[in-house]
Formats: sequence, C-alpha cells, structure tokens
Amino acid sequence: MRRAITIILLIVSITVPFIAFDVLPAIGDPASAPNTHVSDYYIEHAIEECNSPNMVTAVIVDYRAFDTMFETTVMFLAGLSVVIILANRPKSRIPAPASLKRLRDTSGNPVYRTVNKDVMISIIEPVILIYAMYVLFHGEISLGGGFQAGALIGMTYLLDIMVVGRKRPIFNLPKDNSAALAGIGPFIYALTGFISIIGGGLYLEYNKMPLPVHQAELHSLGITAVEIGVTIGVAGTIITILNALMERISFDDDND
Amino acid sequence: MMTTIDAFLAAKGIYLLTLLLLSLGVAGVIVCNNYMKKLICMNVMQVAVIFFFLCLGQKDPGTIPVAMNEAVKAAEYINPLPHGLMLTAIVVSLGTTGVGLSLLLRIKEKYGTIEEDDLLKKQAQQARRDKKRRELHHPGDDE
Amino acid sequence: MTLILQAVLLIGLIGITIAIIFGRDLMTSVVIYCAFSFLTMLLYNIMGAPDVAFTEAVIGVISTVFFIIILRSIDRKTK
Repeated sequence: MRRAITIILLIVSITVPFIAFDVLPAIGDPASAPNTHVSDYYIEHAIEECNSPNMVTAVIVDYRAFDTMFETTVMFLAGLSVVIILANRPKSRIPAPASLKRLRDTSGNPVYRTVNKDVMISIIEPVILIYAMYVLFHGEISLGGGFQAGALIGMTYLLDIMVVGRKRPIFNLPKDNSAALAGIGPFIYALTGFISIIGGGLYLEYNKMPLPVHQAELHSLGITAVEIGVTIGVAGTIITILNALMERISFDDDND
Repeated sequence: MMTTIDAFLAAKGIYLLTLLLLSLGVAGVIVCNNYMKKLICMNVMQVAVIFFFLCLGQKDPGTIPVAMNEAVKAAEYINPLPHGLMLTAIVVSLGTTGVGLSLLLRIKEKYGTIEEDDLLKKQAQQARRDKKRRELHHPGDDE
Repeated sequence: MTLILQAVLLIGLIGITIAIIFGRDLMTSVVIYCAFSFLTMLLYNIMGAPDVAFTEAVIGVISTVFFIIILRSIDRKTK
C-alpha cells in the first residue's frame, strides 16, 4: 500500500514539473539572473579588496563572513548533541550480533604487529598533517580553506584509531574534552570580529583592525585567523562524533 | 545530432535527471524499512540539491573561480557564490549524519531492532503491557 | 560536450540509488554509498567546482567510515 502510493506520487512529481521547466534559466547562460547583479562585483573586486585570488574563499570568509560564523556554530552544536544523546551509561557495550561471531578467526592471536599496520601509519600520518596545514594557510591563493583542513585533521585521527586500536592513539581526547575543543573554534571566530570594533569599524570589517601592519596585509591576517577558528571547530566535531560512537561498540580485538 | 542533444540537455534534460535523483531519494526514505538505509537515502537527496545549485552558476566560456592574472573580467569566470554556500552545506550534512547515527544507536539499545515493522509491533506490545499494568494497580484511574 | 558527460554521470548516480534501495545486505549499501560519493566528486570536478569536489572527497570518506562503525553492532541482513 505504501509502496503503491509512493510510486504514483513519484511519477506525478516528475512529469508535472517537466512542463514547467521553461521557467528555469538555460544552463551556461552568462546573462541569467543568478549570474548577474552582485556576483560580477565579487569576481572583479576580489583581488584588490580582499587580497585573495581564490574567489570562493573571498566570498565565504570576507564578503559573507557572518554566515560562515554561524555555520561553524552549527557544526559545534552537532558535536554537542551527539555527546548529549549518548550520555547514558549502559551496563555493557552493544554486543556484536551472532552472525558475525561465526566469521571471526579463532585460530591464533588477532592482535599482531606487522610492518603495514604499525610502522607505515607512523610514516603516513605526519605527511597528512603537514598537508592539512598547507591547505589551511594556502586557502587564499589556491584551492582549499578551513573546512578541508579541519576534515583532514579529523581523518588523521580516524586513521589512527582504526588501525592502532584503543591502546595509544595519537592524542588522547575523551569525548567531553574534544567537544570543548570544538567550541574554541567559533570562539576564535567571534573574537576576530570584536578586534575590528576596537579599531572603530563594523563587526568583522578587516580594514579597520588596529594592527601595525600595511593596509593590504590586514585582510590576509583577518582571513587566516578566521580560518584557524573554522579548522578547530570542524576537526573537534569529527573527533567528538568518532569517540562517542566508538565507546558503545565492541570490536574483535578488545581485551575488556 | 550532438548539437540537438546538447540543446535539449541545456534547456530541460539535466533538470529532469536532477529531479529524478531527488525523487528517488525521497522514495527511498519512505519505502525502505531499515533505518540505516533511510539515512543513506537522505544523503542521496542532499547530493541532488547541491548539484542543482551548482548548475545555476555555470557560464558557457568560463573557467574555475581562481584568478589567473591581475586584470579580471567577469565573463571569464564561473560564478563563485553558489560554490561558497554549498561548501558549508556539505560539511554540515556530516554533522547531521552523526546525530542520526547516535539516535540509531539509542533505538538499537532500547528495542533491539532497527527494522520499522518490528519496531512498531514492539512499541504496540509495550503500550498494551503498560496499559494492562496500570489498570491492574489502579483500576478506574482513567476517569 | 561537458553537458553530455554530466548527463552520463547522473544516469550512473540514478542506477546506484536504485541499487541502494533494493539491496539485501546492509554492507552492500554502505560500499555502494562509497562509490556514490566518488562519482559525485567526479561530477563536481567536471562542472568546474574543484573546491566543492575537494570537500566532498574528504567528507565522503569520513561519512562512509561512520556507517561502517555502526554496522558492527547491527544485523546485516535486511529484507
């Protein structure tokens, strides 16, 4: 019954707007409504006003910096809600279902040291972290920015905790501490806005910051400080969600 | 033949395929019985919406929105405004998936199953048992 | 020419969605979701949005690993 109604609604919802697609602009039209008015201004004045050749970074961190502040706050709130939802203390972890136990290899010790597992990870992880720092600080010049760098740092932690296990991860952060770390990110972002109020400008206006550097450097400094805040927020949230989920699941090579 | 296909795709074809992907995502959320498949189909819906936004910002003779030299003309670069909005949307969807998975863990702990029909049956059973227990201890309490 | 490439990738995505809905094993759906994420990254690259493609590549990996972690505690068979 549910499937029949769904299929009928599916067919109706595809064929009826097919008639009305003439209202939408043709793809690739340089004179359509979304491509004019204000984005031409952003494209032409990105280098001289914001000192950044990457126009996407100039749009999200300089022209529309207020929106990005609240996006970072939403990321932090997502991490916080995961901690709150999983705050009860069950008596034991969720046991693996019976169909998985038959597949487990019971001959020999499942925890073994090989060259692949423990040595190569200590070679690969610093390279990924250095790449994350490069992506963060070069966000204005080439592709990149704060969001990608934060996700790369989270991926390093994920790789470490998946391979080495719970014995000695790269940095020991229980889920409450990492949720607090994720909160420092939006705080740094909001603090950078207040510095420009001290200099006499509006909130998050990088031109009027009272720092003793050249006028063209103020935008670069403001963008870098703000992107550091975004990175810490995103990385902290990913680490929080990982820790909160992994506390509840029992794995094969557990000793407790 | 290629130009007619191009013209059809530019006017209506790609929008039709995007709408088809979105409808399949919504149908997946409604039809699937398992809660984890519903979460995966939610991500499919999100990809369709993001693709639609990025479609509206394309320009025919345009290149990626990173400036090549100092003199910049607006007609040579793709509109960077939808890119900025969709960047944050992708990252926020990761947080949403995380919250959904934590709710899934709580449901599994409490009811022991994540199929929707078994879940509804167990909830009906528990409601009937609670009602019977309440009537046994306090008869006539509902009036 | 790029429009034809985009249409071909979109048809691939639609096929993958049908495979996700009608799969009998949850591990199948999760592995196919990883391929779905990879195809969308290619699609964003062709359209001229490499920033978005970079983000999607990293987030797709993390999202897939979240699903696989949860799969340890859930019955993999479904109807």
